[in-house]
Amino acid sequence: MTEFAQLVVSALGFGGIYALAALGLNIIFKTSNVVNFAYGAMATVVALLVWTAHTSLGLPTAAAWILAILGGAVIGGATEGGFMRRVEGTPPIVSIVMTIGLLLLVEGLAGVIWGYGPKTVPTVISGPSITIGQVSVDRNDLFVAALAVAVTLALQLFYQRTRLGLAVRAVAEDPEVASLMGVSRRRVLALSWAVGVALTGVAATLAAPAVSLTPTMMDDIAVFAFAGAVLGGLGSITGALVGGFAVGILSDLIAGYVSTNLQLTVVFALIVAVLYLRPQGLFGQAAQVRQ
Amino acid sequence: MLATLVVLVAALVFPRFEGANTTVMGLASEALTYGLVTMSLNLLMGYGGQVSVGQGGFLAVGAYTTAIVATHFGGLPFIVVLALAGLVTAGVGLVLGLPARRLRGHYLAVATLGFGLAVPEIALNGGSLTGGYTGLIVPPQSLGPVMLNNPVPLYYLALAVLLVSAVAIRSVLASPTGRRFMAVRDSQDTAPAMGINTGRTKVVLFTLSAFFCGLAGYLFALNNSIVEYSSFDFSLSLFFFAAVIVGGLGSMWGSLIGAALLVVIQQEAVSLGGFSEAILGVAVVIVLLLVPGGLAAVARRTRDAIAGLRVARRPAAAGPGGGGLPGKPSAPSSPAGASREG
Repeated sequence: MTEFAQLVVSALGFGGIYALAALGLNIIFKTSNVVNFAYGAMATVVALLVWTAHTSLGLPTAAAWILAILGGAVIGGATEGGFMRRVEGTPPIVSIVMTIGLLLLVEGLAGVIWGYGPKTVPTVISGPSITIGQVSVDRNDLFVAALAVAVTLALQLFYQRTRLGLAVRAVAEDPEVASLMGVSRRRVLALSWAVGVALTGVAATLAAPAVSLTPTMMDDIAVFAFAGAVLGGLGSITGALVGGFAVGILSDLIAGYVSTNLQLTVVFALIVAVLYLRPQGLFGQAAQVRQ
Repeated sequence: MLATLVVLVAALVFPRFEGANTTVMGLASEALTYGLVTMSLNLLMGYGGQVSVGQGGFLAVGAYTTAIVATHFGGLPFIVVLALAGLVTAGVGLVLGLPARRLRGHYLAVATLGFGLAVPEIALNGGSLTGGYTGLIVPPQSLGPVMLNNPVPLYYLALAVLLVSAVAIRSVLASPTGRRFMAVRDSQDTAPAMGINTGRTKVVLFTLSAFFCGLAGYLFALNNSIVEYSSFDFSLSLFFFAAVIVGGLGSMWGSLIGAALLVVIQQEAVSLGGFSEAILGVAVVIVLLLVPGGLAAVARRTRDAIAGLRVARRPAAAGPGGGGLPGKPSAPSSPAGASREG
């Protein structure tokens, strides 16, 4: 039982990371109906920006983070304005091809700019683990998990309580009527992409201390957030949080009890099972699946 | 027709000039192998309209099947091993096709992405069967006195397998089955109205695509002489995907051109570094925004321009279902109607 509890608690860190990345994916999917397959590379660029600002330019950690997050928002906005806008209204295969082209492009350029040598960014919180009973909790993991929950709450408040949030929901619900009501669809889409990519960037920067930070770092991690987003339901905010943590805990349990080299397989099986049995995920709307 | 003949003759006499250079022959066989992979992926995406971001997974299944069968049943004729590589992979394609029946667009892409990542990991856990981290050495394959693992025989074998597969894919596309593929691609909503069972059509499509990719796996195993999990990383699947797009969706020739380009770019990857990936990415984006139909369309247009047939030719000349990526149904400036599509 202790072992089980310990494995679940240890999953808080990566569960939170997957949740944040899945949130980023779902924010974009909610309004644009596009799964950002390029997110892994874009998010890694944000992490590399943190490294550059912190290590090369010597900025304090907080300033480095803020700069990098802004950088991520610019990448997201530029992706929408420069590329996704041009393929709007085409069948899904076109936007899939576009995001995969961007994945190759961004990952390649990151390699050109930063090289493939592993880099390090520090964890946000350091210090000894907190011990509760026989279970020890890493402070940074706790911070990541709390951040994921806080971001989810903030997003829900934003969607439910603000005028802009209402506009975003209107575009997600019915773009035609929304534009008749004077909502600028373009701005909402650009905003979604900016916030979405910035959030996945935060996730990648939080993941970087645990893996080595290279341009291809997310190649194997990215799929966990896709799985989290699919499990929770593409486009669902609460779903991203629940799905991200569920995938984190599941892969931790598999690693603890079965094998450390089966996580991708289990996640693939999970994706297929969810898509087959309940394509809208746990919290998604059935109608969205018809895309 | 003439062009096909010229290319074929060139391919047949190629070893006369470069046969002694094992590196060049290896690369040529690799190009043919990749050509078969991109053709199989093009069958799936270009003609069937189904996305696969994990075609490397099928290649891995074919390659591992080859190595395992050749190791444990050394006496089998090569053609049996080749057929098994195709059939086992087809079986995996069928199993993947079952859930894919109900999936579309982005959902299918996520599922195939997971597949492409899972296969090498499963191979890693295969113990002595798959050789784990070290992989499997592929035992020599022979046809009578000819050792198929040697560069020149392997080249001719790859050429033969590619040709037979191309003819087979062409005849499938010309058959009612092929028309069903294209009907499902063009509209998953109207295809059932025409009495087409879209679910079964998709399963057949995945099975066929996997079969041909499995054959490529056999060639891949022989050419690399070792099958290891690290050969099939995520980027390989992405590269195949990019090669098909750059070559041109719905064009068999385009797939071959894309595969050849891929081999060249991979070969130069050491000197190019990140640029090799970035070039592929840029090429995909350019094709998408500026030249739907890819290099095949460029070649076709150039040829038509030279022949002065530019006006006379109708777009339908692209062959069965050719014509690249689906375009926009409406003007980009109408923000509302557009988003409902897809």
